[in-house]
Amino acid sequence: MTSVKPPPGHFALLYFAAASDFTKRNAETIPAPVRAIELFQVLDQRYPGIKNKVLSSCAVTVNLQYVDLDGDDAADKELVIKEGDEVAIIPPVSSG
Amino acid sequence: MAPIHSAMSSLRDQIASCEAQLQDLRSQLAEAESHREPSHIMSFEHLSHDMDTGVPDDIRAEVLSALCQSKDVEHPTKTWPLEKHEYKRYGRQLIMPEIGLQGQLRLKASSVLIVGVGGLGCPAAAYLAGAGIGTIGLVDEDTVEESNLHRQILHSTGKVGMTKVKSAIDYLSSLNPNVRYVPYLSRLGPDTALETFQSYDVVLDCTDNPASRYLISDTCVLLGKPLVSASALRTEGQLMVLNNPPRPSGDTQGGPCYRCVFPKPPPAESVVSCGDGGILGPVVGVMGVLQALEAIKIIAKGIEQPSLSTDVMETDGMATCNGGKPQSTTIEPPSLLLFSAYSNPSFRSIKLRGRKPKCTACSTHATVTCNALIAGSLDYEEFCGAVTPINALSPKERISADNYARIRTGANPFTGTKASSDSHVLVDVREKVQFDLCNLEGSLNIPFSVVSGTPIPPMNGNDGQTPEERWISQLRNLPEKKPIFVVCKLGNDSQLTVRKMKELGLDDDGKRWIGDIKGGLKAWRENVDPDFPEY
Repeated sequence: MTSVKPPPGHFALLYFAAASDFTKRNAETIPAPVRAIELFQVLDQRYPGIKNKVLSSCAVTVNLQYVDLDGDDAADKELVIKEGDEVAIIPPVSSG
Repeated sequence: MAPIHSAMSSLRDQIASCEAQLQDLRSQLAEAESHREPSHIMSFEHLSHDMDTGVPDDIRAEVLSALCQSKDVEHPTKTWPLEKHEYKRYGRQLIMPEIGLQGQLRLKASSVLIVGVGGLGCPAAAYLAGAGIGTIGLVDEDTVEESNLHRQILHSTGKVGMTKVKSAIDYLSSLNPNVRYVPYLSRLGPDTALETFQSYDVVLDCTDNPASRYLISDTCVLLGKPLVSASALRTEGQLMVLNNPPRPSGDTQGGPCYRCVFPKPPPAESVVSCGDGGILGPVVGVMGVLQALEAIKIIAKGIEQPSLSTDVMETDGMATCNGGKPQSTTIEPPSLLLFSAYSNPSFRSIKLRGRKPKCTACSTHATVTCNALIAGSLDYEEFCGAVTPINALSPKERISADNYARIRTGANPFTGTKASSDSHVLVDVREKVQFDLCNLEGSLNIPFSVVSGTPIPPMNGNDGQTPEERWISQLRNLPEKKPIFVVCKLGNDSQLTVRKMKELGLDDDGKRWIGDIKGGLKAWRENVDPDFPEY
């Protein structure tokens, strides 16, 4: 996985661990803007089943900052992912 | 329960307070001793102006030795804060401003608990023992296996079969005999976690499953211990310093806990172990080494004593010696370090948020309490979902490795017909890289990831719009009635594949037999061919 430079009107999405297993890719670019809270839906359309099987337990970061999207009063529920942002899907890895 | 708890809590407070006082006294002593030294040298000062007068050095030696002898009678034995050999052993880190004498004294006075003595715990323990931590506790119930050796660097070939804790202590004791090592040979559970963690200053989570991760984080929050948590799989690793500073639940100034970052556990069936997913030794090694580094940083800087209230800390800060005071203002903001060995950049540091306002462990809404933990009402296995052994098929859809061997080599027990290589199809659903390691002659590789990624077409059949995946057509075009046997490593994925093949209609409405080989290639090796490689 190398830093992806998204084309105009897109943001970069990085997949780690189980998320890259499921999507069979490490990174891709997706049209912006997307409301952060709707990101999982957008991805579930591309990869049916990923929301329940992987994303529901994942951390999401935007430009290397953890975003809180958990629950109705989530701190970042109004956040919009913009053109040029780097978003990462980080599943909890528990083995060691 | 309540009186015992308040007594326990009061004892804990007293111990913490005494420990803080002891640490402070040690620092003051070290400080005082460092000041005494110059006055001792001062007594020779009257000679200093003679140094340049051309007195030959042998004469000077005579004069000095005569002076010293006369002083020996009253000269007190010098005591140094560290043992003589410790200056030598730790010299290379002692001369660094990040450690120094004060930092080394803190390391020596500290205790670290390492939960899990595997790929993470081994390198972490080696560096912590090397650095001169006073006490290291090691928790693991497993024994050393040959497949551990490529990454679990404290264990060696001769230790296979020995408990990991004993093997590690053997190695560590020869590395640094000055450290006290405490073995814990049973599995960490909710019933043992509090008492096990109680006497340690910092905890390292080096375990390999989600349930342990939540249990360890909760226990650290309840007892006010900083937690250094790491994990690794395949080519990636994660590292977080949690609950630092270790403030009580509800204090928003405390560091986030594991639940703040990952409030929901991953679905049990999606959890991949190193045994299933694979792990590169240096990847997990890097993460374990970084855990040791973070623990050293936390300890050398001075850990905030959780049981002391903030105003005690502040008034105490006025004392003449600042050496023993933790520099709590310089605690790094919480972060999640991602390591991805085959990416560029290979390290990414994610800035984490503080404690989650509704965290079930460390917020004012916490439901995780000491009582709940001891009473067993927090079921970590249930929270993370137990992986139940897969039993998806009826006995008629399964065949033992023995019987399958007869089909390959002798007469078919069902039809009485002579075996031929063409009598059936064997589908091996392991991933290609495993299939390439070793496989049964004539088998066809259709990786499980391909099978499970294939959608089931709607009930009214394929509308002809989406072309059928190649592996399906390949099997559908087999001569009618030719049975399909499915095999995998252990006999789980093979069952799910049989289910899926039937859902896709490959059994031709029951005209074609499709089933799996019970116990997979493991059973094949154990019952049929002992030479088939185990990996």
